[in-house]
Amino acid sequence: MVQLVLPKNSRVQKGKHHAAPAGAKKVKTFKIYRYDPEGTENPRWDTYDVDVEACGPMVLDVLIHIKNDIDPTLSFRRSCREGVCGSCAMNIGGRNTLACTHGHEEVPGKDCQISPLPHMPVIKDLIPDMSMFYAQYASIEPWLHTTTPEPQTEWRQSPEDREKLDGLYECILCACCSTSCPSYWWNGDKYLGPAALLHAYRWLIDSRDEATGDRLDELEDPFKLYRCHTIMNCAQVCPKGLNPAKAIGEIKKMLVDRVV
Amino acid sequence: MANYQFIDHKFDVVVVGAGGSGLRAALGCAQAGLKTACISKVFPTRSHTVAAQGGISASLGNMGEDDWRWHMYDTVKGSDWLGDQDAIEYLCRNAPAAVYELEHWGVPFSRTSEGKIYQRAFGGMTKNFGEAPIQRTCAAADRTGHAMLHTMYGQSLAHDTEFFIEYFALDLIMDEGVCRGVTAWKLDDGTLHRFQAQQVILATGGYGRAYFSATSAHTCTGDGGGMALRAGLPLQDMEFVQFHPTGIYGAGCLITEGARGEGGYLTNSEGERFMERYAPSVKDLAPRDMVSRAMTIEIREGRGVGPKKDHIFLHLDHLDPKMLAERLPGISESAKVFAGVDVTKEPIPVLPTVHYNMGGIPTNFYSEVVTRLGDDPDKVVPGLMAVGEAACVSVHGANRLGSNSLIDLVVFGRSAALRCADTIKAGATQPELKPAMTDGHLARFDKFRNASGGTTTATLRLEMQKAMQEDAAVFRTSESLASGVERLAAVHAKRPDLKVSDRGMIWNTDLLETLEFDNLVGQAITTVAGAHNRTESRGAHAHEDFPDRNDETWMKHTLTWFDDKTGKVAIDYRPVHSYTLTNDIAYIPPKARVY
Amino acid sequence: MASYRTPLGRARGLGAAKHGVGAWIAERVTAVALVPLVIWAVFAGLRLAATDYYGAVEWLTSSALNPVLMGLFVVVGFMHMHAGLRVVIEDYIEKHLTRAGLLLLNLFVCSLVGALAVFSILKVALGGAY
Repeated sequence: MVQLVLPKNSRVQKGKHHAAPAGAKKVKTFKIYRYDPEGTENPRWDTYDVDVEACGPMVLDVLIHIKNDIDPTLSFRRSCREGVCGSCAMNIGGRNTLACTHGHEEVPGKDCQISPLPHMPVIKDLIPDMSMFYAQYASIEPWLHTTTPEPQTEWRQSPEDREKLDGLYECILCACCSTSCPSYWWNGDKYLGPAALLHAYRWLIDSRDEATGDRLDELEDPFKLYRCHTIMNCAQVCPKGLNPAKAIGEIKKMLVDRVV
Repeated sequence: MANYQFIDHKFDVVVVGAGGSGLRAALGCAQAGLKTACISKVFPTRSHTVAAQGGISASLGNMGEDDWRWHMYDTVKGSDWLGDQDAIEYLCRNAPAAVYELEHWGVPFSRTSEGKIYQRAFGGMTKNFGEAPIQRTCAAADRTGHAMLHTMYGQSLAHDTEFFIEYFALDLIMDEGVCRGVTAWKLDDGTLHRFQAQQVILATGGYGRAYFSATSAHTCTGDGGGMALRAGLPLQDMEFVQFHPTGIYGAGCLITEGARGEGGYLTNSEGERFMERYAPSVKDLAPRDMVSRAMTIEIREGRGVGPKKDHIFLHLDHLDPKMLAERLPGISESAKVFAGVDVTKEPIPVLPTVHYNMGGIPTNFYSEVVTRLGDDPDKVVPGLMAVGEAACVSVHGANRLGSNSLIDLVVFGRSAALRCADTIKAGATQPELKPAMTDGHLARFDKFRNASGGTTTATLRLEMQKAMQEDAAVFRTSESLASGVERLAAVHAKRPDLKVSDRGMIWNTDLLETLEFDNLVGQAITTVAGAHNRTESRGAHAHEDFPDRNDETWMKHTLTWFDDKTGKVAIDYRPVHSYTLTNDIAYIPPKARVY
Repeated sequence: MASYRTPLGRARGLGAAKHGVGAWIAERVTAVALVPLVIWAVFAGLRLAATDYYGAVEWLTSSALNPVLMGLFVVVGFMHMHAGLRVVIEDYIEKHLTRAGLLLLNLFVCSLVGALAVFSILKVALGGAY
């Protein structure tokens, strides 16, 4: 059966509490998943009472504030802080999103719980191991396949054909979608997941690509593709507002078009 | 000291950094049959190239006649004549081919009705040697860097480039002036690695995070520059730091210059389009240094907007919402998220924000790192190359034109790879590395790992960032720069008192940020030292006590060496190349820079 | 046990089966076919509920359409059920042997019960049930 409970050494325990500094104006509690790979202890929930007036509006601002002023040992990935690099994807208040574009005010409830992306091996604190996710992306061969000799200048593409790539090429590979997908949780080793499939469709629909059939061949599989049951979590959580489920639906349509 | 063991790797070429230039260099080397490694502290598509918005310049002529010579003229003028014209010629000549190559790899460029790559207007880009604005900047909506980086990463997967992802480069392995490789710390398992190579290519990006407010990502900590300084190499033209006119007020996130390229304009508190006064011919499409100065003057003279009168408005609300959705969707979203502004209805509050470092590791147009040795100002450092923002070729001189950075990445990434293919024999025997070459690396790593003073990295970093922000801003004075030199010396002096709380080896971001801070400090210090030393105004270096450009004394590149122990900076110079690459264009002599 | 297989090796796995669209189409086709069949079956059920056993037999033998539609309802229904259960098993059962066993069981049970139902319908329709 699918594993529904965490193994003993992964059960999360109560951790440390960091009280708000004296004179804090507006205190909000952040409950953050902590795991030290070099220690022997189980993961824990540390709680931080943060004066949110002292930091910026986004959850990432709060995390940086915690790291700078409260607890420098907290580890998380971050880079662009404007929602284009996809580093700071995590589960915030039960929802996968980017910490840098998600306001802490938007998180419902009094406390804000932050944990790594679900169903990924955790390396440390909020940092999951993404290697399988990246490998799945690589497996769809995300580059232009052409056989016709390249022209001296650009391949021509009509604005209408170019428009078909909108809503696809903007993906930032943050993995919010794939790690919110129950199908990916249960069969993440065989199902490619929404992100990789969205990219697969991005190349399938590119008018310049000449390997559409081969690409479809490589996708037609009960597990790689057809584990998508249109649960739609992917579209719900995508921080860039993309709709991977729709892209997957389009791939299925293309496969039908091939035989019908 | 703990007993650290290196895991050894041997390659023909090791590229440090996997942004636009690093990927392009690594790809080219791999294509040339060289065994190539690409080391990056972040997954390649998370590199800061991803945040580039507006586009990549190349004289394709898709929107009307264009010529690489016009592009070259604009770049030279944009650089305030500090750029080396041989390198600029190399850049502009090779730009179209580089863009076509990207397109052939699959970059989803926006298109004209004829199916060609769409090009938009950008600051300082003109036709016929300065006559009127031209559309030269190839764009994929306002996500050009993102589209490029993802495509290039895909290409490197196709070419089986060997990646070492989430490895943090520590130091260059130097052997009597020759670079033999680089050491790195693997974050996810805490192991240390020694990469030996015939050629190391630094593609580590800029050091924007030396400032408090920057459009740069948190990871833009100039690690390559820091390594070069520690290896005893100079950095060039560090005083030239570009302020982007339109960073979102408060958040500092970038709003592309393409917004003005598509018809946006700036207004002050009186609703005046003030750029018409500062640059009558190109108005809002003047180069970034001029627009940033104009905005700063407006604010200083009390014509800023907002309750504190401390910023400027960028208007897009007069433009067609359909066009905004098609060509500027990314910044529309950014403005909504970070300024709460609907761009179709309201102006965006903006402020000049640190954006780009024209300075960096000096190189020639082959991307080989050079230094000054006695009378030889172009002495090549064997085994070491630098590309992208980390390098100073110098094609951007004292001020970079918008969209010239993306083309710089691919053109010089490619040139580095071509040079490697020409000069390196695949699989050639490499001399054995001796522990003495890397003992210092380990000592430094261990020192910071066990730092147990009283000042957290965040505290000291903030002190540095505030000093840079206040003392090396858009306008500088002798007084502010003297203060900057002093304040940064104080930061340097406090470095032994640093405190690192995490002692782990796996994803120890406390230690990581400390090592990054250490890389930043040297570059911050050389920046203010260079600026204090340069008693003229040129491009992005606007010195109020010396408001004019002084070609007689200062038509030269500043070289700054940094002594890590004492914090002292040594300054020397390299001449600006007063020649071009070929006879197809003559040297463009300096003249007054007006638009 | 540590796996030293590369992530790409794991992601590529055994490669694509190069089938799946057939099953996907079959799921949809059976679903579409079941819409009228279920409506018909509901009406038929209501009618049969109002009568006794002999009345039911008479209704079934009264026209060719009734036994054919009932047979189709049962066949298509079990095909659809088989496909649906198969997806559930594939989704949630991780262990290979258990998975294969349950898939077989699903196939056998659906086929057996379906075949029995069809046989019963045919028996009544062709011979009457006296």
